[in-house]
Amino acid sequence: MAILCAKNIKKSFGKTEVLKGVDLEIEKGEVVAIIGPSGSGKSTLLRCLNKLEKVQDGTIVFDGEIIAQNGKYKSDKELRPVIKRLGMVFQNFNLFPQKTVLQNVIEAPVLVNKMPKDEAIKEAEKLLLEVGLSDKTNSYPCELSGGQQQRVAIARALAMKPDLMLFDEPTSALDPELTGEVLNVMKSLAKKQMTMIIVTHEIGFAKEAASRVVFMDGGHIVEEGRPYDVLENPKNERTKQFLQRVLR
Amino acid sequence: MFLTVTKTLLEGFSTNIFIFCITLILAIPLGLVIAMGSMCKFKPLSFLTRVFVWIIRGTPLMLQLILVMYGPGLIWGYNGLSRIDATLIAFVINYAAYFSEIYRGGIESIPKGQYEAGYVLGLSKVQVFFKVVIMQVVKRIVAPMSNEIITLVKDTSLANTIAVIEITRTAQNYIAERALIWPLFYSGAFYLLFCGILTILFNYIEKKFDYYRG
Repeated sequence: MAILCAKNIKKSFGKTEVLKGVDLEIEKGEVVAIIGPSGSGKSTLLRCLNKLEKVQDGTIVFDGEIIAQNGKYKSDKELRPVIKRLGMVFQNFNLFPQKTVLQNVIEAPVLVNKMPKDEAIKEAEKLLLEVGLSDKTNSYPCELSGGQQQRVAIARALAMKPDLMLFDEPTSALDPELTGEVLNVMKSLAKKQMTMIIVTHEIGFAKEAASRVVFMDGGHIVEEGRPYDVLENPKNERTKQFLQRVLR
Repeated sequence: MFLTVTKTLLEGFSTNIFIFCITLILAIPLGLVIAMGSMCKFKPLSFLTRVFVWIIRGTPLMLQLILVMYGPGLIWGYNGLSRIDATLIAFVINYAAYFSEIYRGGIESIPKGQYEAGYVLGLSKVQVFFKVVIMQVVKRIVAPMSNEIITLVKDTSLANTIAVIEITRTAQNYIAERALIWPLFYSGAFYLLFCGILTILFNYIEKKFDYYRG
């Protein structure tokens, strides 16, 4: 059964229609990479799933819980228990600059899940070890490289024990030589059967780590399927053009 | 003579410090309330708040002092307000309006991503504000607030307009009664010293926030 089901998602910014009736279903354990040119609506789609943007029409159901129905979202308060199970990693990390790495990671478990602080610290240390930053617990975000900050952001999202992780172009703000360390963390998550939706420009990563690739263009899902099928043998002309351009 | 003048001026200056302290204690929280009002999504409230701030910032503090002192008597025949009360009311309202704009600037300068990060982690709006945003705002407003607070020190001399016996009035009395002008110039040293202490204090606070960037 699908853990996330989005049907007929429509979204406009003013007069510009960004999503024109998108359907997306995600099975538990799937790693779905969403690729496509800039302005195709991939990030907007992701942000609509957890109400960072509001759809004009469509229904979103996550693990049996309705997030939005026919374009109408539940209130923030009603959604809070659902949203926290949807981890999100942003392009610009959005770490809390005045807090240390450890404080960033334990903030939500302590505040939202009412986890005892010492337990939260233990969990956080474990997560930071997993993302390779156990020596940075007391550093501030400004003392870290972009790749390290993004790994902290991943640990922070994981600390809430999400059932689905949303990645919004997690490597786009990084120097090319720093993308590897972030992608490796994501690959290890994929191996652990973490359900993930990843909006990305990293075609190589999509090929290697995704179980399904979705190609979006002009507010539609143009093509989707197994990475090999979509990326090596695309059927749609638009997909072919896009891949030729990015892989050149 | 010098010691007598110093002592008298110091007594006058204690009134200035009193006005300064009470104004700060009341205007700092009131400014936050006004800032919330001007950022409120309920348009009529934010409109009214902004008009209020416009009037307060757009007219001289001296005029506001006179209005608070004599207005109630002229309009309603109420004369129960003491000079110092009128001073405090005018100062608190005036400074709260200025502070509110500094707060608003600080709050609006926090990137949207900080609110979004809090939201996706399941924090409520209140939690995001108090646990994530407010300390970042404080760091950003220390410099403009210190500027405003130092202006407040010197503005306290405006209480003189409605005959509050503060340091400038005390010094002027020496001119009137003894034809001595130097106490007036000397009174500047008191302001200077007090502002110097505040400057050191604000530098210390700014340094305290130096541990992070952003």
